[in-house]
Amino acid sequence: MNVPGLFHFAFLLRGVQTPSWTRWGLRKQQLSLLSIPLLQAARKRNSLNLLEISEADLEEQFVRGDGPGGQATNKTNNCVVLKHIPSGIVVKCHQTRSLEKNRKIAREILQEKVDLFYKGEDSDVFKEKKASEKQKQEKKRRAKENLERKKLFKEMQQLDKE
Amino acid sequence: MRCLTHPLLRKLLSLPPQCVPGRGTPRKGAVLSPKQLFLRQSCSAGPGLMTATDVVHYWQKVFETNGIPEAQESSQYIVSFVLGAKTFQSLDSESLHTPLTALQQEQIQQLSYKRLQRMPVQYVLGEWDFQDLTLKMRPPVFIPRPETEDLVSLVVEEEFQKCENSTLCFPVPVPHPVILEIGCGSGAIALSLLCKLPQSRVIAMDKEEAAVDLTRENAHRLQLQERIRIIHQDVSHSSAKQLLLWGPIDVIVSNPPYVFHEDMASLDAEILCYEDLDALDGGDDGMRVIKTILALAPSLLKVSGSVFLEVDPRHPNMVEQWLQAHPELLLTLRAIHKDFCGKPRFLHIQKQSS
Repeated sequence: MNVPGLFHFAFLLRGVQTPSWTRWGLRKQQLSLLSIPLLQAARKRNSLNLLEISEADLEEQFVRGDGPGGQATNKTNNCVVLKHIPSGIVVKCHQTRSLEKNRKIAREILQEKVDLFYKGEDSDVFKEKKASEKQKQEKKRRAKENLERKKLFKEMQQLDKE
Repeated sequence: MRCLTHPLLRKLLSLPPQCVPGRGTPRKGAVLSPKQLFLRQSCSAGPGLMTATDVVHYWQKVFETNGIPEAQESSQYIVSFVLGAKTFQSLDSESLHTPLTALQQEQIQQLSYKRLQRMPVQYVLGEWDFQDLTLKMRPPVFIPRPETEDLVSLVVEEEFQKCENSTLCFPVPVPHPVILEIGCGSGAIALSLLCKLPQSRVIAMDKEEAAVDLTRENAHRLQLQERIRIIHQDVSHSSAKQLLLWGPIDVIVSNPPYVFHEDMASLDAEILCYEDLDALDGGDDGMRVIKTILALAPSLLKVSGSVFLEVDPRHPNMVEQWLQAHPELLLTLRAIHKDFCGKPRFLHIQKQSS
C-alpha cells in the first residue's frame, strides 16, 4: 500500500474509540492456511520492505455477537478490529462490505503501522511519506515562485506604459 | 418457497407491526414527527444544509426510535450508497462535509423508509458484496452471509493444493475443476469460484426460480455466463444423470439450509419477513438437505473428489456419525474448519476409492 495508506490510519485512529457495540465476538486468530499466503504476499507489497507479523501475535474482533451466526443471522456490520499484541497497536477497518477484504486490508494497514512503530525513521513507510511530503512542498514552492514572477512582470509592464 | 406474509402466521410468531412487505410508506406520526426537531439540531453545515454526517445521525436516530437493529450501520450504508461509496469509512473528508443535494436526501429517505419496515439492508440497496464481487440482491433470494466467504476460500485452497501435489511438472498444473453448487441462491459461491479459479466450470442449481434468475442475472453482469450452467432443479428430486453434463465432478459445494426447524421462529424479523425460509430450514435436525447431498454425492464425484459444506456448529459430529452409519457411500469426513468466530462451520468430505 502506498502513502495514502498512511493517511488512512490517521483517519482510522479517529475511529478507535470505545465502540458502542452491544456484543463482541472475541477470537484469538489461529494460524490457518488461509492467512499464511496473505502475510507472505504483504511482505513484498509495492516494493516496501516491511517487518513480517505473525498471525499468532494478532487478536481479531468482529461484531458478530454470541448468537449462532451463519444462516441464522443477517448482521451487516463487517467491521474488523485487529490488534498486534506485542506492540499494542490496534487497527479498525470497515473499508468494504466484504468481511474477508476488511480482514486483509486491516492486516496490510497494521503491518505498516507496526513497521513504523519498530523502525521509526528507518521504516520504508516513513521514508515514503517524507519523500511525498518533500515533493508536495517543492510543488508549492515552485507554484509560489511562478506566481510572484508573473506579478513582477505585470507590474513592470504597467511601469513601461506610464 | 415460503415467505411469512400470512397474517395469522406472523401474529403467531409475534412479529413487529412494521414488518409488512410490500407496503409503501410507513404510518405517519411516530416516525416522522421527530423529523423537524432533529433537522434543526443536526445541521452542521448551516441552516437547512445537511452533510453526510448530519444525515447519518438523523436517520440513525429515527431507526433507533423505531427499534430498527443496527441503526448506525444501516444509516451509514444507505448514505454511503447514495454517495457512490461502499462504506462510510471509505468516504473521504470532502464527501463527509459537503452538503447533500435535495435529490440525494430524497433518495436516502426512500431507502430509509424500506429499512424502517425491517427490510434487510442488502435488499434495500439491491446489492451487496461477496469477496471481490458486487452482486444484485432481491427478495426473497437468500442473502450471502460473511462466513460463506471462507467456504469459497477453502475450495480454492484445496484445488491449488491438489495441483501442488500433482506429479506433473510441465506444463505447470493449473486447477480446472468441474464444480457443482447445490442451492446457488444469488450465485455468490458459484461466481466467486469462477473468478478465483479461471479455468473452472460450474453447474449451479436451485429449486427456486427466483434464485435461478438472480444467479443468471449476476453471471451476466460479471460476464461469466459462458462458464456456468444454471439449472432449476430440486436436489431431492435429482438424478445423477441430469448433473453429469460435464462428466464426473471434482467438487460439490453447498451452503444448504441447515437451521434446526425449532430455531426458525427465533430468527430476526429481517430474515423471517423477507428471505425464503426454505433456504434456511433444514428440518428437525437441520440435516435434511445435507443428507440428500451426501447420498447423491458418490454417484456424481470423481474418486478423491470433495464435498464442501457450510453447516450449523452442531452438525460436524452428527455428520461424522451419519457417514459411519452409511459406509456404502464411501465418504469420509476429512476436516472440520472453523469460521471467523471460532465455531465449527465447514466440512470437507472426500470420496474414497473402493
